Amino acid sequence: MRENVVDQSKDITILELLDRVLNKGVILTGDIVISVADIDLVYLGVKLMLSSVETMEQLKSGK
Amino acid sequence: MARMIYALVSSGEHPENLHSKLQGIQGIGGTELTKVSYESISAIISENEKADFTAEKEKVIEFAGVIEALSQGFTLLPMRFGSIMDSIEELNTMLERNYAKIRQNLDFVENKLEFGLKIFCDPEKITAELSSGIVAGIDHAESITSESGNSVFRDYVNKKLREHRIEELRLKYAETVIAEITEYFTGMNTMHTFRKMVSETNIIDALFLLDKDQKDTLVVAVAEMQKRNPLLSFMLTGPWPPYNFVDKSIK
Repeated sequence: MRENVVDQSKDITILELLDRVLNKGVILTGDIVISVADIDLVYLGVKLMLSSVETMEQLKSGK
Repeated sequence: MARMIYALVSSGEHPENLHSKLQGIQGIGGTELTKVSYESISAIISENEKADFTAEKEKVIEFAGVIEALSQGFTLLPMRFGSIMDSIEELNTMLERNYAKIRQNLDFVENKLEFGLKIFCDPEKITAELSSGIVAGIDHAESITSESGNSVFRDYVNKKLREHRIEELRLKYAETVIAEITEYFTGMNTMHTFRKMVSETNIIDALFLLDKDQKDTLVVAVAEMQKRNPLLSFMLTGPWPPYNFVDKSIK
């Protein structure tokens, strides 16, 4: 039970980190270059990544 | 090759002193970190192959690690992963063009730390606790709907009524906890944002920007809130660089 709680906490912390680095922070409008790897990001990383690319596409197109 | 930007930092009156502070910190793929300065601000960069901008989990975590290491020595604005520029000249122009905005943001986050607070509930446990108080109401509803004689309709209405009331109570419960936390953090004079009922299990997702010397007070306060709310699980993360409290877009 305790291990599950610890594992869950680690997963949430990694998700928090990925969310911040991919979706927060200062962004240079129009100068973001990001590639999607062949391999999937684990956990909810795929969702985060798609969200991030989508955000950047919107920024590039000025929407 | 392109310049990957990790952070915009406050370099003070003597940006030449930055070099020593950057020693011991490496960029993605073991690359050397360098600076590009304009007046009292600097961009911390490394020269990388385009392949390094691929958003693999390991690279993203490495990028975050560089920002984390930089945050130990500088007041900084973290850049989003994938922020690059082709040349030093472009970087200089960008810093000059955005100097006032960057300086203002750096002053705002100086000596401050970001924390995240997520509050989780076990929906079954909370539902059992809350629904015990609404049985009388459901019974009343049953007596009304039973007059129709349609048991399928009655069951449906009762189910929806129960769900609606439990949802209302959960929201009220979350608002009570938010009120308690808000009152506390207002007293601490912090920047904070709240999202409530993010999901069935995550009832509060909060972000705080605190003075560095308030860190221990926060930890104790969250532990006390956890004690007062045994039905909930409090998860505090941080300290983070101020990802969520910076003016996001610069040109």
